[in-house]
Amino acid sequence: MCGLCGLMGIEHWTETSANSGAFDGDTERSIRHERAHRVRLINKALAPVRMTARDFQASSYILSSSTGRTEIVHDIQALWAAVERLGSNPVDTLSAEYLEQLSAASS
Amino acid sequence: MIPVNVVTGFLGSGKTTLLREILARPEFSDTAVIVNEFGEIGLDHFLLEEVEEGVLLLQSGCVCCTIRSDLQETIRGLQKKASDGLIPDFRRLVIETTGIADPAPIVSTISSEPVINKHFYIGNIICTVDSLAGISTLSTALEASKQVAVADRILVTKTDMASAETMEPLEGKLIEINPTASLQKSTGSNFDAKHLFLDEFRNAFTGTDEALAMLERSDYSADTPKKEPPVSHHTITSFGVEFSAPIDWIAFGIWLTATLHVHGEKILRVKGILNVYESKTPVFINGVQHTMHPPIHLDRWPNGNRSSRIVFITQGLQEDLIRKSFYLFLEAAVPDTDTQSAVTDEAIG
Repeated sequence: MCGLCGLMGIEHWTETSANSGAFDGDTERSIRHERAHRVRLINKALAPVRMTARDFQASSYILSSSTGRTEIVHDIQALWAAVERLGSNPVDTLSAEYLEQLSAASS
Repeated sequence: MIPVNVVTGFLGSGKTTLLREILARPEFSDTAVIVNEFGEIGLDHFLLEEVEEGVLLLQSGCVCCTIRSDLQETIRGLQKKASDGLIPDFRRLVIETTGIADPAPIVSTISSEPVINKHFYIGNIICTVDSLAGISTLSTALEASKQVAVADRILVTKTDMASAETMEPLEGKLIEINPTASLQKSTGSNFDAKHLFLDEFRNAFTGTDEALAMLERSDYSADTPKKEPPVSHHTITSFGVEFSAPIDWIAFGIWLTATLHVHGEKILRVKGILNVYESKTPVFINGVQHTMHPPIHLDRWPNGNRSSRIVFITQGLQEDLIRKSFYLFLEAAVPDTDTQSAVTDEAIG
């Protein structure tokens, strides 16, 4: 994979670079800056299931479990399915237990 | 890009009558039509295709994320015929569902199929509701309620035969299930076809006016006394969530993708406007179950109110949990104030 992929970005509804017509604010991040910010927030969301994610060439995410299993995924939607494939419970944002853990980690 | 309108509605609610009416109008002369079956009411149209039900299941495996293989083949076939000059070019595609069909897989097919989504996008979803049988159908058939829930436009048909006593509770029920859809009445031909099919949120001006109307129909207060579970709607409910501070778009995307991954089958519709750090003007979001459409720029704030307002239409999910989760995620997301130069190679990974 060449580094150009990262510069061109990927198509997903969450990516501002893929939907630039919808965003006209002063907070314009580069593709890589946005990805770095997203990874920081994803890792907050993953903390309760003890997994971590990192960006790969601004074109994919590498998800790692606490036992060292890893999987590379194309976009954030695919990341949540990979969490389960790596053996974890799903990141259930509507579970009271998950929200409690997230809240404790954030405070 | 060619818009695709889905015409849905329960058995006998007037889908084919609606199609026959619009296809006779000059502004729809370049419209191709796909029907699931040739019904009793004949459609005399030169761009008419019939499909037989066929379904491919995507890896994610849920019903709303299926790709309709039949539809995929039919749309590609239409495109090929047009490019080969066998049929005239068409600028709009209308798909009529069967009376008991769930429209979500059609939306998923158009949005997810990698060849089709380069040439087509989902326009308005139109749902016809029989004014006489509507109340009873919505009470007994889950499919009918789901069709109403995913619609952008609702056309109540045969209203010349319905009394005010019939219409009032029906309209109340339709707004309760789906406050985001606009509602029109028809006695056969006297409806606003342009609004039903042509005026879309993709137009920033139309979108803002429509967003205003949609937002006014919804209740965003967490303090509103909760209604009894609406058994007659098969627990399909709608509610609004409001957030006054600007939102971090990235955090919102993380929250909604994660939520839809687990609960997408039960979140029938998400629609709303967001005040995000990344935009001075409102960003409109719109989704049907697991499928989210690309965000859209609106040109001004409805009523000058800059708070984010999102309407959820859900089936059997607890409103207070969605509200709590939404607030918790967004409040935990401290916006990054780093300059781009502060992002090191190490942080990028």
